[in-house]
Amino acid sequence: MHRLPAVTLLALALSACGGDPDANGQDGGEGEPILGEPCAPPPAYVEDVSGCAPAADAYQPRGGQDTWPACVSDDGVYHPLGASISSIARVQAYHAIALLLWSADPRPTRQDFLDARILFEEEQGLGSRVARRYDPHFPAPAAGKCEDEGVPAANPDYCVGPATLQPLLTGAFASGAEGEARLVNAARIHAALQWFLYVSVIKEATTCATTAADCDSHWAYYAGGGPRESPLGLGAEILALAPETHQRIYDGLLAVRCWRNLDHEGGEATDLALRDRAIAQLDRALLRGMAVLVRQRFAELGCASEHYRQAALEALRVLVPLLDRAVRERDASAAGFLAAEVQKEAAAIDAAGAISRLDALFPCY
Amino acid sequence: MRRSPTPLGLLLLACLAWPAPSAGEEAPGEEAPAPPAGEEEPEVDEEILITSSPAPGSRLPSARARSEVTREDLARRLPRSAPDALRFEPGVFVQQSAHGQGSAYLRGLTGQQTVLLFDGIRLNNSTYRQGPNQYFFTLDSQSLASIQVQRGGGSTRWGSDALGGVILALPVEPRPEASPGDWFGWDPHLRVASGTADGEIGGRLQTGLSFGDTFAFLGGAGGRHVGQLESGGAVHNPADGELPLVPRFADDGRTQLGTGFDELTFDGRLVANLSPRHRLKLALYGYRQFDAPRTDQCPAAHAPYDECLKYDEQFRTLLYAVYEGRRLGPVVDQLRATLSWQQQRERRTMARPRAAVQHTGRDVVDSLGLTALARSPRLALADALDLQLEAGLDTYHDLVSSAAWIAFTDIDVTARRSRGQYLEGSRYTYGGLYAQAGLEAFGQLRARAGARLSWIDARAPDDPESGTRAVERSWLPMVGNAGLEWRPLSSLAVLVNYDRSFRAPNLDDLTSRQQTGPGFQFENPALGPEQADTFELGLRLSAPILLEAWGFRTTLHDAVVKSPRQDADCPPDTPACQASWTKLQLVNAPADAALWGVEGSLLAELPWGLEARASVAWTWGEGPNVTPRPTDPDAAYQARVPLSRVPPLNGTVELVWRSAFGLTLGADVRWATRQDRLALSDLSDARIPRGGTPGFAVLDLRASARLAERLLVSVAMENVLDAAYRYHGSSVNGPGRSFIFLIDLGPLWRSPEPARPAGP
Repeated sequence: MHRLPAVTLLALALSACGGDPDANGQDGGEGEPILGEPCAPPPAYVEDVSGCAPAADAYQPRGGQDTWPACVSDDGVYHPLGASISSIARVQAYHAIALLLWSADPRPTRQDFLDARILFEEEQGLGSRVARRYDPHFPAPAAGKCEDEGVPAANPDYCVGPATLQPLLTGAFASGAEGEARLVNAARIHAALQWFLYVSVIKEATTCATTAADCDSHWAYYAGGGPRESPLGLGAEILALAPETHQRIYDGLLAVRCWRNLDHEGGEATDLALRDRAIAQLDRALLRGMAVLVRQRFAELGCASEHYRQAALEALRVLVPLLDRAVRERDASAAGFLAAEVQKEAAAIDAAGAISRLDALFPCY
Repeated sequence: MRRSPTPLGLLLLACLAWPAPSAGEEAPGEEAPAPPAGEEEPEVDEEILITSSPAPGSRLPSARARSEVTREDLARRLPRSAPDALRFEPGVFVQQSAHGQGSAYLRGLTGQQTVLLFDGIRLNNSTYRQGPNQYFFTLDSQSLASIQVQRGGGSTRWGSDALGGVILALPVEPRPEASPGDWFGWDPHLRVASGTADGEIGGRLQTGLSFGDTFAFLGGAGGRHVGQLESGGAVHNPADGELPLVPRFADDGRTQLGTGFDELTFDGRLVANLSPRHRLKLALYGYRQFDAPRTDQCPAAHAPYDECLKYDEQFRTLLYAVYEGRRLGPVVDQLRATLSWQQQRERRTMARPRAAVQHTGRDVVDSLGLTALARSPRLALADALDLQLEAGLDTYHDLVSSAAWIAFTDIDVTARRSRGQYLEGSRYTYGGLYAQAGLEAFGQLRARAGARLSWIDARAPDDPESGTRAVERSWLPMVGNAGLEWRPLSSLAVLVNYDRSFRAPNLDDLTSRQQTGPGFQFENPALGPEQADTFELGLRLSAPILLEAWGFRTTLHDAVVKSPRQDADCPPDTPACQASWTKLQLVNAPADAALWGVEGSLLAELPWGLEARASVAWTWGEGPNVTPRPTDPDAAYQARVPLSRVPPLNGTVELVWRSAFGLTLGADVRWATRQDRLALSDLSDARIPRGGTPGFAVLDLRASARLAERLLVSVAMENVLDAAYRYHGSSVNGPGRSFIFLIDLGPLWRSPEPARPAGP
């Protein structure tokens, strides 16, 4: 623990106070100029759901025949367990950051980065959750938790928040605020936060077994507290590209809620098999949604130029590792292909090859 | 930066302007000297109906449930702090949110619902928050002569906040150091203390000075470095056997992260005996604490190990002047007036180093105070019927400065928030006029009654950017008390008291936004005052043993309690509110809350130099459930729920042996049962293990020996059985098996014979 030297302590004691710092912001310059053009219009993607069918054990609140008992989700609406869902505020912050950095005006200023970072680092905000987020797809450390010293470095896949996402985000916010590679840094932030939201949905669904409030959080991290037809945050981004995938994800969210309704809603869940079944349905759909987002980035490589294309590549360099586990489970060679492609220069990337593999590995259902 | 008011000039001017003793007045020196430093104020034979001391304001009323920590107790028990010194007082339960903090619960209430006093001057200001606070820790226990505790309401005398009780700390007074016939005396002391549980090392250098019989001065400075606290191990959740989320431990499973601090203290006290009837005092007390983490936020539950909320600065400065007059006339026998300036400054930083972010808040409260108290002599109304009157006024004015900012350390950018925890420029004026009367009949029956008219005025500006409304609120509450004391035997007294006390909403209630233990709490500018009606019955046996037993019931009307709130209730542009798991707002309970309980204490002088002491307290608190009743009629819902953090059944036992040759040995046991009656806000408070706080019993051994005239060595072995324990509501577990050492050298030397000044 840092200690002040005795002389300094004495001086402070006698002076009785230290002054407040003056606010110091940006110097007004915008840093490096942004070159190139974005895709105009953005690459078109039409989701083909003609050959899709839900899994046999899937929960189908939109009218399909399923094997699930009747539950609170059968009306197709998410019914929160609690009256207060703090995660919604974090998704609202994500939305506000998006407006500053990538969605409203894709030419963020240094001040935009600073304002976005303030939103990100609010007390109990996104930053506080990124710093503790773990990915339950990976085995937990044999000893310790991701909050403990040294554990994230030793378990980077499980402790994805502190080990991977937090340093990436901190660096991108700082670099952007310095005016460096603003589009690239905005894309990194965007992709890292998408990764965070994806992991958060699955993590909260998992811990919902013991902490009922986490059920609502799993829904909030995807939909931002919004209804099926107008989600906020990650849900809105997937809905814009792949409406049916969004519907399937929402069905998965309701499957989790249905399980919790059937499994000691007021206490601790015991039917973990049903939980895993619900989460598997959700994760399958959500991975499909994330793959669509990645697919879109690959498509942008072909129509964007200069910094805009570099930004798409940087987003892929963040998001392809997110999909690596799921891709590798399905096709190890495809995982290797994708990982190798995103390490190339943008012009040398086989975007069509990557897209075809993603479509094959993460089909609609 | 706004400059704080410095009334030093006014005080000095008052000193200079004070008239010198006039011809005809008694010569200095004829008055009984002040008691020696480190010794108790001697009890006087004179019976006082209103208090038991001749100095108004220096003793809490003996007719109430009252106890006292004496200087001898402090020297024997070696407390780590002023709050720690209260652990053996009946009905007092000391909670710690941090190793460098401590808050005493009196009859189930603490913080803004109790009054803290130093030498009769309020420490409470308008930013005292609900629940525990750290401010009593800012008294240097080494500068204290005694700490008195009154359990039960005390607003008639002490004004707002005194719902659960009053704690009065009295400083060590300077004494005439000169040998008989000398003009000048000098008496330096050096104390060195060390503790093994937290690596504490510190000391205090103090000196007394006297100039003839007129002036006496006592001044000192001290400091200590306190490291991380090693506990007896983890306290586990009773509900599931798991580790609670706080505190976080180092790899040894015993040392608690988020503990340790540095501390500096300084004080000076000048007493001018202007005449046997007039005395003037000028005093300065300073406390500087640095880098004191709040244990439950360092790190917070689920947060990475290196995230920490730390009080970078917890400062308090108190400067005041006192006038004391005696035998001033047929109506006024005693008069005491004070003029004070106190500044409380705190600066907190929540650091998240891996994100290169620091959230910092800084609050400064300057309080100007004026008190005056006059007491009549005993007036004989008739045979065996005496009356004594006391009247006074007090008023304080707080000026609050508050700021907050966020800093990104990797790019050296700082952004100020539109508001701090409080609103810059807020003001709070509070005080009152009161009168009390005591009547004694036939030497067996005493009756007391008093009343007070108070004024409270709160002003805070708005802050549109954060959606904060301006506050302009005023109250003029009336309160009072009455009591009867019947002495059927000379050694037995039966006491019955009624007291109505009040607490007006302060600036913390009306304007603050802050993360508290249970969640994010935001302001309620419409909050109303709370009142407490206390009925208590006491039995006091003074021979052959000292035995006291009290039963009480306190009814809280419009009790201020934390109520859960929804996202939509959060103030606008306050993302920290919406993003918190639990949102809270203080509200007036829709129905009465109540606390009742019993307290007992025992002091027995045994043969062979042995002394036995014991205390026990039990408190039950419940109030209306302020959460909305569920729409499902079959859902579980309790209309009345436990009040927050009410202490469990607890007590102490002490055995002390004093030899005739300077050796004192002692053993004590502190114990508490499990507390699993939890309020709703307790359930979301990481400080409270899931299922409640387990009970404990802790054995301590103590010894002190005067090895030479000027050398006293004390040692305490705390927690001999190395129990893992935690006082209910605390973030920090108690120390494990460890030692505390104290070496007291003094006086180190005597000044040489000074040349006597030439006589007139």
